[in-house]
Amino acid sequence: MKKNIQIPLGSQHIALVEPVKFRFECENERIKEVSSDVGFVHRGVEQACVSKFKFDAIPYVVARVCGLCAITHSLAYTQTIEEMLEVELNDKIQYLRTLMIELDRIHSHMLCLAHVCENAGFEAMFMDIMAKREPIMTLQELISGNRIQFDYISIGGVNRDITPEIQKRGLEILAALKEEILLYIHEFQNNWSLSLKYKGVGVLTLDEAMSYNAIGPLARASGLATDVRAETSRLPYDKIGYEMVLEHTGDVFARNQVRLKEILNSIAMCENIFEGLPQGEIQQKVKGKPNGESLVRLEAPRGELMYYVKGNAKPMLERVRIKTPTFSCIPAFMEVFKEEVYADAPAILASFDPCLSCTAK
Amino acid sequence: MFSFKWFKKKSPWILHYNAGSCNGCDIEILACLSPKYDLERFGVINCGNPKQADIFLVTGPVTYRSRERLIQLYTQIPEPKVVIAVGSCACTGGIFRSMYNVEDGIDRYIPVDVYTPGCASSPELIMDAVIQAVDIFEHKNQQLQSAKKLYRQPVFEQGRFCVSNVAKSLKDKDE
Repeated sequence: MKKNIQIPLGSQHIALVEPVKFRFECENERIKEVSSDVGFVHRGVEQACVSKFKFDAIPYVVARVCGLCAITHSLAYTQTIEEMLEVELNDKIQYLRTLMIELDRIHSHMLCLAHVCENAGFEAMFMDIMAKREPIMTLQELISGNRIQFDYISIGGVNRDITPEIQKRGLEILAALKEEILLYIHEFQNNWSLSLKYKGVGVLTLDEAMSYNAIGPLARASGLATDVRAETSRLPYDKIGYEMVLEHTGDVFARNQVRLKEILNSIAMCENIFEGLPQGEIQQKVKGKPNGESLVRLEAPRGELMYYVKGNAKPMLERVRIKTPTFSCIPAFMEVFKEEVYADAPAILASFDPCLSCTAK
Repeated sequence: MFSFKWFKKKSPWILHYNAGSCNGCDIEILACLSPKYDLERFGVINCGNPKQADIFLVTGPVTYRSRERLIQLYTQIPEPKVVIAVGSCACTGGIFRSMYNVEDGIDRYIPVDVYTPGCASSPELIMDAVIQAVDIFEHKNQQLQSAKKLYRQPVFEQGRFCVSNVAKSLKDKDE
């Protein structure tokens, strides 16, 4: 007998910390239709950027759009301003910025992997991954002074320098983490009970990924080769050994594999930066006020982040537009849920790694 | 012997609600529950159901759409309850203060017992706040269980009407 049921998930739901509301139209246990509602955390950051704060304070405002990829937001905004003011930065600043953005990616991916395990019902793995994530937070605290929401980047440079002790400690932490990640890759590939929840669940095919414009790890797990790091040349990714990670099955398992292998790649890049850090100043003088318009794309942990800034030679900007990765991915999210069992919904949702405070701003 | 009082004292449970924060404080709360800091060794457990909760952890400035849910959750938690505002946004609005969709801190809507500063609050601060909250919870619990006096003890004055005089006159009549 067929029976249609409507089931809401979030906001304030046990399985979901993020303030988003999904409404599933289920037929028996299969999900047939999905609708979503994301406006719960809208704060009005874009409006505040053009009415309350001057342009040199905004790096610290837009960092508060999202706690997980704060550094990517402030870096993208800073690059737009630097492009308008025509500032040429030295190698050391670029390398330090790349270092922090990659460390941020490592801890964000590990948090996502832990969340997927928790929502699939594997509490011990969640605790284990969270424990192994702590050294990275310690390293971020050593470099920048705060665990998350570090206001490391300012217009014209970075706010703190690295000492040789931090360099040594960082290399130790990264080497230890590399061993752990290799073990996790083995575990995620071979654990039988995890494979029940992950393999063949929540499949996004390559055609769907292309037609719904998926980005970030979601697209790379389906075999779609999009990565801003490979396309633009603002940061020195070609010098420090960046490699694109691709998987082709498109299920939860493939997304986990993409994240794990990206962590390995990020560790290699961070090690290269620690070993070959160039000499130079960490802050360069910047003069003038932004005039004209500028657009910057960066690869956040969840995909492409886009900033459009327009100024007219005044301290107050004319327009700040933020396009965040999760917002672009929502059509693809909705497609994945269809024809899946409702019991898998929390694990699938966690495997997207949604960031709703970015989306609602 | 089953003692309800003992259970309430030892293990107050936590409810965590994101009222519009940037996820910074939320992942620090998550880090608190993980093995390095391990909040659960104080007997608190993070639960999703307001009916089972005793301590209410709120992060973020209250947005227009989340305030209704904030009050609903607060009213669904049974007495006695303790509210912790985590992060400077939940205390005063923080950097989002007086933006057009933001309500500047949760104490406009619900009474707050412990304020935790910081952007984002570090796990050490959150743990301090929870330990304080456990103390406040115990105090509130004792107050709730002591007998309440609904009337004021009348002051005895000669020649004026009071309860003890009435009792005395009634006693005289019986005799």
